[in-house]
Amino acid sequence: MRQPPTKLMNSAELTQCSPGATEQIAPAIRLIGIDKTFRNGDQRIQILRNVNLTVAPQTIVGLIGTSGSGKSTLLNIVAGIVKPDRGQVCICGAASEAFNDWCSVGYMFQEDRLLPWRTAIRNVEFALETGTIAKSERTRRALETLQLVELDGFANAFPYQLSGGMRSRVALARCLVTEPRILLMDEPFSRLDAQTRAQMHEELLRIHRLKAMTVLFVTHDVAEATLLADEVAVISPRPGTIKEIVKIAPPRPRDVTQPDVTVYMQKLRALI
Amino acid sequence: MNSDLPAQPTWRKLRFDLFGERLALVIIAVAIWWLSSLSVPHYILPGPGRVWDALRLIAANGDLWNNLGITLWRVAVGFVLAALTGLPLGILLGANRRAGEFFEPVLPVLNTVSSAIWAIFAIIWFGISNATTIFVVFMTAMPLIITNVWQGTRSVNAEFIELAQVLRMPQWKVMTKVYLPTILPYFFSGARLAFGFGWRVSLVAETIGSSSGVGYRLRQAADLIRTDQVFAWTLTLVIMMATIEMGMMKPVENYLFRWKKDAQ
Repeated sequence: MRQPPTKLMNSAELTQCSPGATEQIAPAIRLIGIDKTFRNGDQRIQILRNVNLTVAPQTIVGLIGTSGSGKSTLLNIVAGIVKPDRGQVCICGAASEAFNDWCSVGYMFQEDRLLPWRTAIRNVEFALETGTIAKSERTRRALETLQLVELDGFANAFPYQLSGGMRSRVALARCLVTEPRILLMDEPFSRLDAQTRAQMHEELLRIHRLKAMTVLFVTHDVAEATLLADEVAVISPRPGTIKEIVKIAPPRPRDVTQPDVTVYMQKLRALI
Repeated sequence: MNSDLPAQPTWRKLRFDLFGERLALVIIAVAIWWLSSLSVPHYILPGPGRVWDALRLIAANGDLWNNLGITLWRVAVGFVLAALTGLPLGILLGANRRAGEFFEPVLPVLNTVSSAIWAIFAIIWFGISNATTIFVVFMTAMPLIITNVWQGTRSVNAEFIELAQVLRMPQWKVMTKVYLPTILPYFFSGARLAFGFGWRVSLVAETIGSSSGVGYRLRQAADLIRTDQVFAWTLTLVIMMATIEMGMMKPVENYLFRWKKDAQ
């Protein structure tokens, strides 16, 4: 899946973003030497230092670390809404600056961020309104995606009429409606109760199998990371850098009571 | 999955109860009025019967409809002008922090100036004309609309802006799809307030600066000690305002903002 070279990319970026020696195809996401410093008045706070991370296509990767370790900033850098001070972001084998297919990258926030004046289906349609897709086509695709998250019965309900879990499903549908190849998630289920969160985990894994997406998610919950991810990247606190990458071997679906799963949870707990 | 949709109220029954209560209230008010009028000369407090006759008279000779129309037209023009200037100015002050801070004291000052003072200025500047009433309505309604729209721009959720940014939505679409729907309820409540105030101050303006309209007729009737006609004009005005407010503005607002939890 090599992108044709464009004039925007210089040769250095091309080699950085194209598949490595041991890879068949370009990784979905590759971060090379990312630095980020925020200024707060006279203070300069380095958030990220020399972050390197490779996310293989169709895998699920968890980013875990204490709060303030720069996980969310890193996700925003991948999404292209925060610019790194130094380093290179590659998306699907293209340099982030030259990448122009952002509708193939979905972003799910910590909050559901549903527009209160729009019904569930119109909230899902919102993600399609950037482009020039016809209204009838938008509605058709939004309804299809609501069916995917099993919420088509509530298409015309306003956000205030929905429970927390349902709102989360609408937010997920809004990410999925553009048919992304990469799904970025910033602690998306942290505000849900334990039972609803478990349901959303199942939902996410089912859709991941169905749509063969790449998922990069941020969490501070060791159990969540262990249950969902193929690999967990542990970020050390400020300045954030990848401390270790842990491959979670047991096949999904996993259970926190499985001994081979709890081993990984203990390992991750020791790391952060 | 249990339904979290709120239970539908027995809406028809509720409406009927409400209608009954309102009717009872009107009957009680008219009864008190009638009883009070029995012991007082009719030029001080005319009874319901006398006022009804006066009302029939002005309705039959066309006086009622002409003046009501003129007043309504003046209020509407002043109000529309206020909305057309107030909405962009409010957005501008909200969007530009420096301008907002600079002009902030102007609004409370404008709001404290009595409409009677605006009416006097209007007579000096425009004489006895339509412009006098329109000006007074405009000067009263505009600060109210600006204040509300301004408040609306401040309540735009930064999280929604970031969402649009992640979706690579162009700026003008963010304006129409995020800013406008946020501001609209504020604009609407400002407009409703402004319309109500506009009605009231239009009468003040017409009383002293006009040769037509309900306000002018009211003063004329008072000068001639035709208290029954004063009551007839007042009554039609109250009914008309209540009809516009509850029959038009409120339903439109309820429909537009049905996504709000406490709208009903």
